[in-house]
Order: sequence, then structure tokens, then C-alpha cells
Amino acid sequence: MAGIVGEQGTADRRESFSIPTPVRSVLVIAFIYLFLVGVSSLEKGIKIMGEDTQERLFSSVSNPIAGLCVGILGTVLVQSSSASTSVIVGLVATKGISVDAAVPMIMGANIGTTVTNTLVSLGHVRQSNEFKRAFAAATVHDFFNVMAVTVMLPLELLTGVVSGIAKEISGRLVGSAGSEWKSPVKEWVKKPVGWIVDIWEAVGLNGNVLGTVVVLTGLVVVLGALTMITKNMRTLVADRVERSVNNVLGKGSGTVAMMLGLVITIAVQSSSITTSILIPLSAAGVLSLRNAYPVTLGANVGTTITALLAALAASVPEALTIALTHTTFNLMGILILYVPPLVRDLPVLGAERLAEVAVRQRTWAVGYVMGVFIVLPLIGVALLR
Amino acid sequence: MVMSFFRKGPTGLEHVVSKSVSMLGDARHSFDLATLALLTETQPASVDADIRATDQRINQTEQELRAELVVHVAVQGSADIGSVLGLILLLKKIERVGDQAKNVLDLAESGVRLDNEDDTAAMLEERGLISTMFGEAAELLSEPDAEQLAEFGRRADGLLTEHQAKIETYLHSDRPGHEVVPRAIYYRYLKRIVANLLGIVRTASDPLPTLDYLDDGATDTDD
Repeated sequence: MAGIVGEQGTADRRESFSIPTPVRSVLVIAFIYLFLVGVSSLEKGIKIMGEDTQERLFSSVSNPIAGLCVGILGTVLVQSSSASTSVIVGLVATKGISVDAAVPMIMGANIGTTVTNTLVSLGHVRQSNEFKRAFAAATVHDFFNVMAVTVMLPLELLTGVVSGIAKEISGRLVGSAGSEWKSPVKEWVKKPVGWIVDIWEAVGLNGNVLGTVVVLTGLVVVLGALTMITKNMRTLVADRVERSVNNVLGKGSGTVAMMLGLVITIAVQSSSITTSILIPLSAAGVLSLRNAYPVTLGANVGTTITALLAALAASVPEALTIALTHTTFNLMGILILYVPPLVRDLPVLGAERLAEVAVRQRTWAVGYVMGVFIVLPLIGVALLR
Repeated sequence: MVMSFFRKGPTGLEHVVSKSVSMLGDARHSFDLATLALLTETQPASVDADIRATDQRINQTEQELRAELVVHVAVQGSADIGSVLGLILLLKKIERVGDQAKNVLDLAESGVRLDNEDDTAAMLEERGLISTMFGEAAELLSEPDAEQLAEFGRRADGLLTEHQAKIETYLHSDRPGHEVVPRAIYYRYLKRIVANLLGIVRTASDPLPTLDYLDDGATDTDD
């Protein structure tokens, strides 16, 4: 359709200046492969380091609160829980970190990922009404995730219920802990991982230094590949995202909104993108806080797909267990904090109250972001490691 | 609703344009009924509910499409910001046309009757011309054509000048007030409707900063 929208539709016009859709689709597959190579490189690098180094490296996160804080800080640093949880999966695959020690880190990653949309909401700080709505929409995600951790971390430490469910599922899928399963993906990525090691060996590296450099290479590859997957997928599915958001806006139930968050996040491989899209919509008053809230919960579940993907590149069942722990934790969070009507509104009320305070005193908003996402986790790591 | 993610469909702005065209169809419906109530023996009460329901539908669609435009910018970024702002203006113009049709109905409902007058036939003919322009505007909105647009503009400009001349004539006429005042008001509404229709088609072609202004931004189109 021509006219006010130009000679072509949005997607067509955009694509006429850039990569055609089929090429972009192939690129996404290539970057997924590269992502799996990166995760496998992490595992390989840590194995090269040797057991003594591994123990020294990971003993600091044996305290669950320190692990939680490391999860928050790591995710804030890379601005992506997909990336940080994939790294955690890689670490568990090396058996450098146990599943039990990794669970709080995964929960921390869930909190850390909410910083992105909170930062996006600060962009509306000059307009009081807009900022109030935007900040509430961003922090409802924070409140939910913090409350989920508050309820489920002690529950997990006391009963091991979250990781227990995940262990049960992964046991049925790939075998029990301690065994080794022949991941086909692991075989596919074996050669390029070997090339990475060979390249660094060729420049004269060995031992711990070689292991560290291979880990760093793996990290760069994981972050780079995830960024490119997200970027390309966002372009590929933008029209679909727009259409489905429009269809759900103000018409769908909480479950429909949750499913929308899940589908969009799986498609773009980033909960931050999904939740950040909600901020301008909330700021403009197009989306109410109560409509935005379930979308963020769907995004929480959707983002766990990346760690599950990463687990495919690992050769031990524990990697899949920790990835499934992430999914189980988020699903249980919904069951405990969203399904019962009595507690459903608590994150909404918390976010509204915080937004009121933030609008009256803007520095509180900045203080909140710094405190929750940087200062408190740093103190936690410093004191408890 | 979530399944729409997996289905193909029009892009966001295309959907807004196609809904705008249907809004314009609604506005034409209101215009046709309201002028019928004023210029023929049709009882205003018989079309009142239809016109007000149509106006509500236009208003509701405008609000939904505004929300869709915000979603478009949030999802797609600012690449289409010019089109989005243009569409916001376009929606407002269509909504205004709906309101102005309702104003014509209000005039009829206040007791003004322009049927069986010397100039009724001429006014009915003019009504037909303007009603056709709604259809042309809708066509130009979805498929702009530079030549048709220029021709539409010339006709609309001609009507605007004609309406203004009539309004001024009525204002300075020695005829009784009950004859000239309703006509002056009616032509003022018609003038604004035509100006808005002109604005609607120009939204598809004119640069955003000078949209609604003529003579390189010097003259307001007075819609």
C-alpha cells in the first residue's frame, strides 16, 4: 500500500536498504551456531585451567547470597540475562560450579536483567506523568523478581524444590547427574572450539593463561553472537511483534498478555527488549500497569530458552538441570505470586508506590537503580565471598 | 490473539491507513445523513441515533489508532516518525469531519429547515459533490496519484473560495436573519469539511512542517 506510509510498507522499506529476509534468517542460524561454539569454548577453557584453579576461582560463590549478588552484577554488566545464564550453564558444564551453587546466581540474573527497562524508564524523567507510568511499568518487573527470590531462595535452600524439579526433568531427558550424555550439538561445535584452542596455542599460550584466554574468547563469542541474534531477530519479527501487541492491547487477559511476552521474548531472545518496548507504551498511557505486568512475567519465562539452548552444547546433565532450574524458578514464581489473586497485586502496588516517591524526588529513582543493581550486590559480594 | 504473531498481515502503518479509510467512510455516512436531515424532508430524529453512533465509532477508532501509532514507534523505532506524526494529524482531521457532520445535524435539530427553499436544489447538488469528494479522498489516501491530487486540490480550493464568498454575502445581506444566519452557519461547516478533506489528501503528499499551510507556510487552511 502506498500513500502516507511511503511507497512500501515499513518492513519492505527497511529491508530495501538492508539485508534481505532470507539472508537475515540464515545469519540468525549462523549466529546461533556461533553462540553454541562460544558456550562450548567456555567449558573447554575452564577445563584447560585445571581443577586447582577452578576451585580457587569458584569458591567465592559458595555462599548463596554472594552467588545471588554475582548473578545480579554479572547480568547488569552484560545487560542480558540470556548471556549471563548461558555463561552460568557453561560453568556448570565444567563442574567448576555445582548446580546448588549456581541456583542463586540464576535467581540473581533474573533480578539483574530488570535494570535495562528501568534505565529506559529514566529517559522519561523530565515529564512527571509519563515518568510515573514508565517507572512503575519498569519496576513492577523488579518487584516481582525480587519477591520471587525472597520467597524461593530460602525455599530452595531449605528443600531444594526448584533444582529438584529441574533435576527430575533433566534426569528423564538426558540422564542423571554425574553421567555424561552425548550431545549432538557438542559434536557439531567440537571443531571450531578446537580451532580456537589451536590458534591460542599457536601463539605460545598454555596452562592457566591458555584456559583464561579461551574462556575470554568464549565470552566474547557468546556476547557477540547473542547481540547479533537479538538484533537480527528484532528486525525479522518487528512487524509481527507490532501486530500482536496491537491485538492484545487492552483486549487480552493476563494469560494472553503473558503468552505474548513469552512468544516475543523467545523470538528476539531477550527479555530486555520485550520489557523495554513496554516502557514507552506505558509512558504514553497506551498500556496500563496491570496490562504490562503479565507481559513481563511471560518475558521472564521466555528468556530462559537461551540457557536451554546453551545446555545443548554441554556434555553433562547438570548443564541442562541449571537451565531448567531457570525455567522452573520463573514458572513457580508465576504460580506463587501471580496466580493467587491475594498476592497478585503486590508487585503492582509496590511499583506504584515507588513511582510516586520517584516522581516527587527524582534522585530517588537514580539512587534506587544504583542501590539495588550495583551497591547492594557489591556489598553482598564483598562481605560474603 | 497471540497467534497473530505467527500469521502474516499488514504492517502497522498500512493497517492505520486502511482503518483511516474506513473512518473516512463513516464520516461520509454521517455527512450524508446530516445534510439529508437539513436539506430534505427527512426527520432529524430518524437519523440522530445513527449519526451519533457513527461519531462514537469514529472517536473510538481514532483512539485505538493513536495507540497503534505509539506501539509502532515503540517497536520499530523512529524511522517512520514523519509518517506517524502525519497520521496523527490525519486521524484528527477525519474525527473533525465527523464532528462537523454532527454540527450540521445539530443545526437541523435546532429547527432549521432548508428543504423546499429556492436554493435547496443547488445545495443538494453541492452536497452530492462534497459527498463524492469523501470517496475520492479515501482513494487518494490509499493510492496517491499526483495528478488526481492536484485536480482534487483545485476543486477543493474552488469550493472553499465559493463558500467563503457565500458566507460573506449572507453576513452582509438585507434578508431576514432567520434566512441568512442558518445558511451562513451551514456554509461555514461545509467550508471546514472541505478544508479538512483537502488536508486529508495533502497529508499523503505535503511535507509535515507546512502541512495545513498554503503559500509556503504563510496561509492557514482554516479547517
